[in-house]
Amino acid sequence: MGSEAALPKWASTPCIMGIDEAGRGPVLGPMVYGCLYCARSYQKTLATLNFADSKTLKEEKREELFENLKADESIGWSVDVIDPRELSAKMLKKNKVNLNEISHDSAIGLINRVLNMGVLLTEVYLDTVGDADKYRIKLSERFPSIKFVVAKKADSLYPVVSGASIVAKVTRDKALREWVLEETTENMHRSFGSGYPGDPETKAWLAHHKHSVFGFPTLVRFSWGTCTSYYKDMVEVFWESDRVDEDVANSSSGKQLKLRNVGFTPSKRKSEEMESSAKGRCKFFQTRKLEQLTHF
Amino acid sequence: MEDERGTIGSINLSQKDKEEKVNLSSQVHHLPCCIKFNGPCSVSQYFKPKPKGMEIDGLAVEEAHFRGRKLQGTTISLPNGYSGFVLAKNNSGKRKAFDVSEGRSDNWEMKAKFDKLTYWNHDSPPSKDDPFLRSFHWFTVAEAVSSPLYVT
Repeated sequence: MGSEAALPKWASTPCIMGIDEAGRGPVLGPMVYGCLYCARSYQKTLATLNFADSKTLKEEKREELFENLKADESIGWSVDVIDPRELSAKMLKKNKVNLNEISHDSAIGLINRVLNMGVLLTEVYLDTVGDADKYRIKLSERFPSIKFVVAKKADSLYPVVSGASIVAKVTRDKALREWVLEETTENMHRSFGSGYPGDPETKAWLAHHKHSVFGFPTLVRFSWGTCTSYYKDMVEVFWESDRVDEDVANSSSGKQLKLRNVGFTPSKRKSEEMESSAKGRCKFFQTRKLEQLTHF
Repeated sequence: MEDERGTIGSINLSQKDKEEKVNLSSQVHHLPCCIKFNGPCSVSQYFKPKPKGMEIDGLAVEEAHFRGRKLQGTTISLPNGYSGFVLAKNNSGKRKAFDVSEGRSDNWEMKAKFDKLTYWNHDSPPSKDDPFLRSFHWFTVAEAVSSPLYVT
């Protein structure tokens, strides 16, 4: 999604872009990366448009500003909406992808998208994710022709990033508002609240929508620490893929400890019980996981 | 291995009591995890496989999510001449004493059958190399080793 008209003339002059995110912290719903770009020569005008960090603005004000910037022909924008299913899946893969990597990839994807449209990006401003210097170096290596400014609170320091934060925040709110729940069970409702773990409305929604076998609807980010407290009452689930992690965990790493707390990593005894290993049988059976059962 | 004799039992596949047993074809899912639960569950309301519109090794790939994990799977037909059954134990209380002295004895009854099932991998798309598909090789081997050997 983004501005899709024919490439404006100003796009072939040096351009600046801001990138910001919305919905990184919430336990449910998509995470949205938004960008806003314009000619460097438009920068001064941009500063007069009253873009501020989206968090400091009221919802109506944000939406009004978003409408304004969509109508402004001197501004381009784009968004990357990352589905909660994708967030959970990546963070719970065998080789786990952390949220910082997902964020970096999303920002890189937006830069690529805008470059591929033919916009001459020379400066990109963004909030830091993880260590600012490392992030800047990572981006600079990938896009040597662009000057990157990675800063904490970039969304309140640079109007172009404030604009991007509005694009992201309004898109995230709209996505959550219009979210079509995949599950077809009765008694579901859509009072998600903000999605932030501390929001009483969000807590109530989670408590009401938990399911002993399935956990939660797929709107929820299962990999979030917030979900932990609910897993205690749910049916235990042991994954074949966690068994590989276990051996690593035994030798080192605190990462696994986290997972164990979340209730994903089985104990050794239990994992053996869940999957046929065909231990001690000939290779034909082992590779096909065919075990001989004397009791069932 | 407390009892090497294993289980003695019978499996009743007759369909006398009801005209037709429930056919669960395409509703049976083999997941790459162990769910510590036995009982009815609102599967179709929560578990929503979707076709991916692509094939690997001639297997139509499907995608679903369970407990936050992405599953990729495929629906397969069981080999010709083989069927899948859902069995339930049908033991009367009396047998308990007999179990202790003579080894366990179980009677199983068919509750439903299927000729298709969907198996799921976590993280990797289905392929001909999946152990689950390869386990069917045993059928061929089993037939070969149990058929009479003719020496000419």
